[in-house]
Amino acid sequence: MKSTTNDAETTHRSDSIGGRLKRIDPWMVGLGALSAIVAFLVVTPMFWVVWQASTVEFSRAYNLVVSSQTALITANSIVLMLSVTLFSILLGVPLAVLTTRTDLPYPRFWTVVAALPLVIPSYIGAIAFVSMFGSGGEVDSLLGFTLPRVHGLRGSVFIITLYTYPYVFLTTRAALISMDSSLVDAARTLNAGPLEAFRRVTFPQIRPGIAAGALLAGLYAISDFGTPAFMQASVFTSTIYWEFSGFAPEYAALLALQLVAIVAVVLVIEAGIGRDEDASGDTDGSGSTIRLGNWKWPAMSFVSLLGFLTLVVPVTIFTSWLFRSEGDRIPSLEFQWEFVYHSVRLALLAAVVACAFALPVAYYSGRTNSLVSRVLERATYVGFAVPGVVIGLALVFLGTRTFPSLYRRGVWLLVFAYVIRFLPQAVGTVRSSVLQVDSRTIEAARTLNVGRLETFRRVTLPQIMPGVIAGGILVFLTTMKELPVTLMVGPVGMDTLVIIIWDAQDALAYRYAAIPALFLVLISGLSMLVLLRQEGSDLS
Amino acid sequence: MVRRDSSQTPRTTSRRPFLALAGAAVAGTTGIAGCLGDENGNGSGNGGSDDGGNGGGNGGSDDGGNGNGDAGGTTVADAEPLASPVDPSGVSWDDLGDLEGDITVYSGRTRDQIDLVFEELENEYDGLEIHRNYDDNDVQVNQLVQEGDATPADVFYSQDPGALGAVHDEGLVQELPEDVVDTVPESYREPGGHWTGVSGRVRSIMYNEDRLDETPFDSWDELPTDIFAYAEDDRFKGIISTRPNSGTFRGFIQAMVDLEGEEATRQWVRDFMDQDPQLFSGGSSQAAAVEQGGDDDPIIGLGNSYYAARLVNEDPDSPIRVTFTEDDPGSLFSVAGVAATNSVEDPELVAEFVRHLVAVEGQEFMMDANGEFPVVEGVDYVGPLPSPDELNSPTFDLSEFDMELQEASELLEDEGMMPL
Repeated sequence: MKSTTNDAETTHRSDSIGGRLKRIDPWMVGLGALSAIVAFLVVTPMFWVVWQASTVEFSRAYNLVVSSQTALITANSIVLMLSVTLFSILLGVPLAVLTTRTDLPYPRFWTVVAALPLVIPSYIGAIAFVSMFGSGGEVDSLLGFTLPRVHGLRGSVFIITLYTYPYVFLTTRAALISMDSSLVDAARTLNAGPLEAFRRVTFPQIRPGIAAGALLAGLYAISDFGTPAFMQASVFTSTIYWEFSGFAPEYAALLALQLVAIVAVVLVIEAGIGRDEDASGDTDGSGSTIRLGNWKWPAMSFVSLLGFLTLVVPVTIFTSWLFRSEGDRIPSLEFQWEFVYHSVRLALLAAVVACAFALPVAYYSGRTNSLVSRVLERATYVGFAVPGVVIGLALVFLGTRTFPSLYRRGVWLLVFAYVIRFLPQAVGTVRSSVLQVDSRTIEAARTLNVGRLETFRRVTLPQIMPGVIAGGILVFLTTMKELPVTLMVGPVGMDTLVIIIWDAQDALAYRYAAIPALFLVLISGLSMLVLLRQEGSDLS
Repeated sequence: MVRRDSSQTPRTTSRRPFLALAGAAVAGTTGIAGCLGDENGNGSGNGGSDDGGNGGGNGGSDDGGNGNGDAGGTTVADAEPLASPVDPSGVSWDDLGDLEGDITVYSGRTRDQIDLVFEELENEYDGLEIHRNYDDNDVQVNQLVQEGDATPADVFYSQDPGALGAVHDEGLVQELPEDVVDTVPESYREPGGHWTGVSGRVRSIMYNEDRLDETPFDSWDELPTDIFAYAEDDRFKGIISTRPNSGTFRGFIQAMVDLEGEEATRQWVRDFMDQDPQLFSGGSSQAAAVEQGGDDDPIIGLGNSYYAARLVNEDPDSPIRVTFTEDDPGSLFSVAGVAATNSVEDPELVAEFVRHLVAVEGQEFMMDANGEFPVVEGVDYVGPLPSPDELNSPTFDLSEFDMELQEASELLEDEGMMPL
């Protein structure tokens, strides 16, 4: 269970505190029940998936599950997942340190730049990179030299990493902000070098944060279809979509369950890595700033380059079509402000609801250490690992069977769908913040006879706010780019920015993708700034 | 089963490199459009239009039995025309009833293909609002099946007869009015009238004109007219591509089984896979790759002609062109069409809406916007492609292939073409 020995004692303490609180406190029981309800709600689509899969006759099921191709594509999917996870950590963690622990000028701006790639659907990035790189690409024809072609499994790893590393960046950043930096100072005064201090003091504390983000990046990679398909890489989701496109959703459901089984293994493994790291949180954030000196120039250049590649390039490619194209008008793709309104409204709703759902689950699992709390917390990840169309189809079924008169009227079902898909993003970040809260402060408040809710509001919530905000941002950004479920259970005809971008490229009319893509980046950036300000005010 | 020798290249006079729709809208490219279309201004002339071999048996064939079921106006089939009925000679929108109310359309087709028609209808009729849900064709079918009678959709508009057949097989759609059914030749619709084709298109060979000099083919007219050559001739090795996960590719496989038998079809797939083809997951990305023309991009592609048409429409300098095989599944003529769901709210409105699609103006919009072919005899094709008569596509009843769709899927899996 516990991988680092020096924390065994503290864990033991938090275990016993958790156990004691649970025993004596009906609040904890209520919280557990609330978590159970949330977990149940978000796994409801899986009942449909299991039911569909169970209708497949055995011989066919056997052939599907153990076909000769399955081993190869499963291996490919696992390679994709592991590579994306690794590279996301290598990109995300240093960026998080850079924007929180150094004297980098305009840290908030660079935070936004480093996080924004998450809002670009990775297949859009793939389209841009394919048309830019390689022989015959834009760079080739404009500048006369050929960048290596982005293609296949390697191309998929490259693209998906570029657009998912912000998971790690944002969760790590939240962990860094929440952690008590005076520990680092203490370590430094004891003559530990900065690297040594990071390895022995900082890293153990932010490990749950890194693990939470790495898990999200990995799960995104293994459940993504669009990017590998575009890159002609054979991965597991290809089989799901193949059956889906043959109008055989029951086969698709069966294969989706197989994917969930793989993911379950990952979830169990990660549960070991991302376990409790009890750490106190003064969250003063000052004092341990690394002075960059002249290094700030390469640092800023690096973040700029990332932003250029992931954000400027796609928008520019689409924009170039604005001037080049002589195509016929496609009226319904023409820009309207309501696209922006729909996107932002849905993303905000999803972020707020997801955070509200995430709090009980994350808090319960962060404060208690029972098997039940861990299972409930892990259960929220299932929806994230199932391809969107399968979740969408399940919700189509559930929506028409539960409230048929409200089906595709209003956004309730759609927001619920977003919560199912993206809840783990909020649960992961909130939970890692909860783990950093020092239980002693809570106990202290309790001894002062402050009520449980009051304690939570005045003591706990401010401390976990960076996690809540990070979770909200993650849900916001990923909702902004969500496509399959939006098309399936949203109100008919409610177009969002990403729907227009997708339809424009599908119609090979890239020019219509330019303005929505620009707005996607700008509006998301501004929204992030507002959210980050929230974080700042709550900290001070 | 009999295969034509691919090395011989029978030339017909109608064969030339087609710039797809190019600027059918742009005045300049008349050369191609002009020589084909100027016999009679489309739409006006009824009667005339000799049926080309491809038309399939039009005419009577009405089984009449559009079950005049229960009380007035509850089904689309029972909905009396609000003004004139439609007929095969081509009826103008002016003669049809007004459209008023709300219609919800689930569309597997993309916006550029049909939105112009919807917009034109909304402009024509102030009281009409068409709610459009554009999504992947296969998503729409799966969604309609899960929704059942709770679907908000009145109409399903699909580019794939297999998809329309699938929702019909699930009992989700109802018969269309008799006059609509009689307007469209039987091979372009479900015999019982549960869905009808609205526009036609043809599978094609697309190629990058600028890159033919990298191939052993000196010019486009050396490209074989036999679909089997594209699998067997190793001059195509490494330069050919297709998109096997589409409904129309499955239709192509089904047609090949009908025409050539299952074993020959399996052999075709195996041979094709030996060509190291690039297999794309989207028709758009395939066409874009053929157009991009980098060293690693395919030079030749099997696919629907309208993708090339879109690219040329966006960029008149695009090097992408199309040509066609002859009298084999490689030039399968297929339709995009509509079905009315069981949950139609206003049957009269939906019936009249479908009448508009198969009336002259509806047909013309499909030609102009997509470079598609009309399915109504009285409307003549005008455009840059060879007319259906000249194309020499094999004749099929699109709703009745010997092979089930799922079997076609399994054939592709058996031969290792799919999943990708």
